[in-house]
Amino acid sequence: MSETLGRLLTDLGERSTYDAVSQCSRCGYCEQACPTYVATGDESKSPRGRNQILRLMLEGKLDDPKAAEEALSTCLLCGACTTACYAKVPVADLALEGRRMLRGKTHWLVRIVSRMIIVCPWLLAFLLKIGFLFKKTGLSKLGRPLLRAVGMPVLASMDEHTDEAPLRNLDDLTRKRKKTETPAYRYFASCGPRYLYPRVGTATMFALDELKGTGAYLKNSCCGLLAHNYGELDDARRLAKKNIEHAEKSGSEPLIGDCSSCVAFLKTYPQLFLKPEDVQWRERAEVFSKRVKDVIEIYGECADKLPAGISAGVETTYHDSCRALNGQGLKDQPRRAAKAAAGKSYCEMPGADACCGGAGAFGFVHEELSEELLKKKVGNAASVQAGVILTSSTSCLIQLARGLRKYYPDARVLHLSEFVAGALKKTHGA
Amino acid sequence: MAAALEELKRLVSPGALLTSSSELAVYSYDGALERARPDAVLVARSADEVRRAVAWCAANKVAFVARGAGTNLSGGCIPLRGGLVIALAKLNCILSLDAAARVACVEPGVVNLDLQKEAEKVGLFYAPDPASFRVSTIGGNAAENAGGPRCLKYGVTTNHVLAVEAVMPDGTLARFSQEDGGPELLSLLIGAEGTLAVLTKLWVKLTPIPEETRTVLAGFASIDAAVACVAKIIAAGVLPRCLEAMDRPTVESVEAVRSLGYPKDPAVLLIEIDGDKAACAREAEAVESLCREAGASSVRAAADPAERERLWEGRRGAYAALARLAPNVLVEDGVVPRDKLPDIVRRIQEIAAKHGVKAHLLFHAGDGNIHPNIPYDERDAEETARVKAAGHEMLEACVELGGSLSGEHGIGVDKRDAMAWLFTPETLRLFHRVKDAIDPGHLANPDKLFPIPGSKPGRGFVRPPAAALSDYASFLVDKVRTAPAGASFRVRGASTRWKAETPGGAVELLSTGLGRVVDLDKRNYTLTVESGVSVHALHAELEQNGVFARLPKCGGTLGGLLAARPWPGLREDILGMRLLLSNGEVVELGGKVVKNVAGYDLSRLVLGSWGTFGVILEVTMKLYAFPIEVPSSVPDAKPPTFSPWASRVRKAFDPDGRFNPWLNYP
Repeated sequence: MSETLGRLLTDLGERSTYDAVSQCSRCGYCEQACPTYVATGDESKSPRGRNQILRLMLEGKLDDPKAAEEALSTCLLCGACTTACYAKVPVADLALEGRRMLRGKTHWLVRIVSRMIIVCPWLLAFLLKIGFLFKKTGLSKLGRPLLRAVGMPVLASMDEHTDEAPLRNLDDLTRKRKKTETPAYRYFASCGPRYLYPRVGTATMFALDELKGTGAYLKNSCCGLLAHNYGELDDARRLAKKNIEHAEKSGSEPLIGDCSSCVAFLKTYPQLFLKPEDVQWRERAEVFSKRVKDVIEIYGECADKLPAGISAGVETTYHDSCRALNGQGLKDQPRRAAKAAAGKSYCEMPGADACCGGAGAFGFVHEELSEELLKKKVGNAASVQAGVILTSSTSCLIQLARGLRKYYPDARVLHLSEFVAGALKKTHGA
Repeated sequence: MAAALEELKRLVSPGALLTSSSELAVYSYDGALERARPDAVLVARSADEVRRAVAWCAANKVAFVARGAGTNLSGGCIPLRGGLVIALAKLNCILSLDAAARVACVEPGVVNLDLQKEAEKVGLFYAPDPASFRVSTIGGNAAENAGGPRCLKYGVTTNHVLAVEAVMPDGTLARFSQEDGGPELLSLLIGAEGTLAVLTKLWVKLTPIPEETRTVLAGFASIDAAVACVAKIIAAGVLPRCLEAMDRPTVESVEAVRSLGYPKDPAVLLIEIDGDKAACAREAEAVESLCREAGASSVRAAADPAERERLWEGRRGAYAALARLAPNVLVEDGVVPRDKLPDIVRRIQEIAAKHGVKAHLLFHAGDGNIHPNIPYDERDAEETARVKAAGHEMLEACVELGGSLSGEHGIGVDKRDAMAWLFTPETLRLFHRVKDAIDPGHLANPDKLFPIPGSKPGRGFVRPPAAALSDYASFLVDKVRTAPAGASFRVRGASTRWKAETPGGAVELLSTGLGRVVDLDKRNYTLTVESGVSVHALHAELEQNGVFARLPKCGGTLGGLLAARPWPGLREDILGMRLLLSNGEVVELGGKVVKNVAGYDLSRLVLGSWGTFGVILEVTMKLYAFPIEVPSSVPDAKPPTFSPWASRVRKAFDPDGRFNPWLNYP
């Protein structure tokens, strides 16, 4: 068993995991919000079912860990159930607690990557570049069967799912950024935009510079979400502490990130420090978390500064990243910005708030279920003849890009930052 | 079992049968407290798969329970004897939606909200709107005969199901429709909580979306004042689509979460009117002034849809707010005649105080349906016991006041023992015989709805005794009881429709002497009348009293009309019945309340039975304060050929076939 949190910060206050899961009254009002329940019709793949399974585990009444693992591992952690729940039972956090209880040893790949992220992030960046080089030359495609054969199907799947292979990451691209003494904000570089989608990070900083004034690139560590969701809590804590300490060195300017999964996690740092001995870290984490903003919040606030009508003729729609919508409650803000910039060509698609099936590693691990959600999502986008789909998480970008390539190549997916930056550039006549 | 399950696995789609212990654990509960694990779960992929599975159950004598979304609040989908749970969530296709005919054909797993959304696209809506409508299924709604706030005006689920296709406990497929001749078997299946069949397809009625909706919120100094106001509104001939009430503790809980500006009065009414623009405006104005006349301390009408939404947020957010007070909330569900609401509220408060629990009251004031909500923590066994005891005492009080055990949540396992408070032993035995007739092996959702051997009936029958039978009714009862063994009976009214001579040797049971109006209740708008009255005379009498009933204006007796059922609309407003059976017992079906899901809906079932199920002595039905549209004639009706299922059910009522044995049975 991996270490568990034991206590959670819920909407009703701090609770033990057991109290938090017992708050589920089994009313079932969450069921239709859950993409995996809707797809399977199987109660064990519903939020209520997962809560009850965890509860039975905590009460020592579940004798079949294997089946419990299936139920908990198929949770997308999208949090749509919590949004629907009257008592806001934190099902995603609870599912993670259950997974930690069931996990014997952390997967070696997660272990190595976590270690690298903490100790030598440069090595990870380097290895990724080698990987991307393989991809550019087409070698990785040939390597996929080999990866599968040696027990690394997840890597093969990752390779298959992603299309990007940037040889210059965001660290490289920001090296020449002009320094400022009093930055208006600090850009928190999430791993997605940093290594896989540097174009997103570049766009975010361009847009923020325009809207808020020049900011600074925060040389932060990984937020720790990978360790939190798939690895050891201590690794997550170590990274959180690093980031908190690092951020404390700067002033009190907002810390803005552009991967909603990562940002949502940064906002929950205090939950990592609920042990009595961590009381000081908890306070520091609270200060830190209050500074954290998702870039899509900023766009919402600045919507009236955005030039209109840049996507004239191309239907533009917005896909909610689960961690923006359910993790941070950001529903109107990104839409306000998207509508302002897209003007009349903005259209809302049905089921915009449903998970696309990307969900971190979910898309690589539960390919079949993920594919079903993806097809539904692409179908909904096609139903409004969308040409551009905007979103705000790395996972969604990977998943939607793959889905569109496969089922609806007429459309493309963009991070909201890229769209906003495009609008701002257009007014400059650039 | 294991070997048999292997066989079942081969009969269904790959992966559709779940057997691991954690999968079974999550099918051991619904929205209530009771738990029991099934031996296997079938997540059915097609109606035919359901049929194969039920046939397998029948062959192997395995109990089965159909399950929709599992939001049941009375333990209705708990597999008490293990066996097979048939999950219908994946049968979720809307098969057709005919906008012109206003009919949708759906699979049972279609979520209520999804049907609403589809209907809305063509300007229609599906009227039943239980609080769970975002997740609960049409099949589950039908099994429970679900209501909802809107049912005051539009009726409950049984008023909106036109036909069903069902897998019967023997594994055969059957179809029941309002248009079938003979007894109303369709009504029997609606609200039977899955104890008689598994519904696999439903044809439901859709209703045009009204042109306009107006919402009014009014605060009152007491529950009594609020209820008096409700009575005034109904008496004024206004039939709101919703008439919801909340008490102060409930409003306070809501306002603690989110300030909506609800009045801090002891009672709050939320009234919603719909209809065409002119009528709606007129009625909304009338409602506002009626509220003021009734002493409302504040009256607030929503000026626009946004404000309407805000007013509703308080009502809709009520359960949500209570759900945050404690891990569990007991949502009790009792119903009383509307004018008894102040009494039941006092009784509920006394009972809550006695057991040291806090009851927050939410009620559908228009139809006397009250939900005391009691927050608690099921992990505290002592508290849970107190809450359960309080809940049951509140129900007992409802029954004592002439009400019923459930307005919309059903009986399930939670209230099965309490059925003995509401129904006489004779009536309970009849219910059991109906179950036996359709499901002799007791495989379909066994041990639900009715007391089982070993049940503790508590104080037993506590319902106020019905009015004594009239002399003529007693005469008919005696006639049946004293008839020679083996005698046949001719049950007849005015012989308007079935004119054949009574064969020699048969005993005549002529209902035309049953002419008494037993109870014309203008406070609750219900009528109890003997069945021998002429329909024309009844219309005249009602009109004199300024009330109206949903009956065609045709000749003959009321009993004859109901027994022949020449117009499907007859079923809409039937609330109860007193029926003389061939064994000389008199059973009391239904009751005086307009919303009632306790037990099988036998009063509707009897419609169209042509006297073969029993002699209708009295019937209770809903009245209106305004004239309603009814046909001025009905088609000629002839005794139909009874279906095999109708013949089986008839044996429950009249095992030896002594009533009208000359009719056509297969």
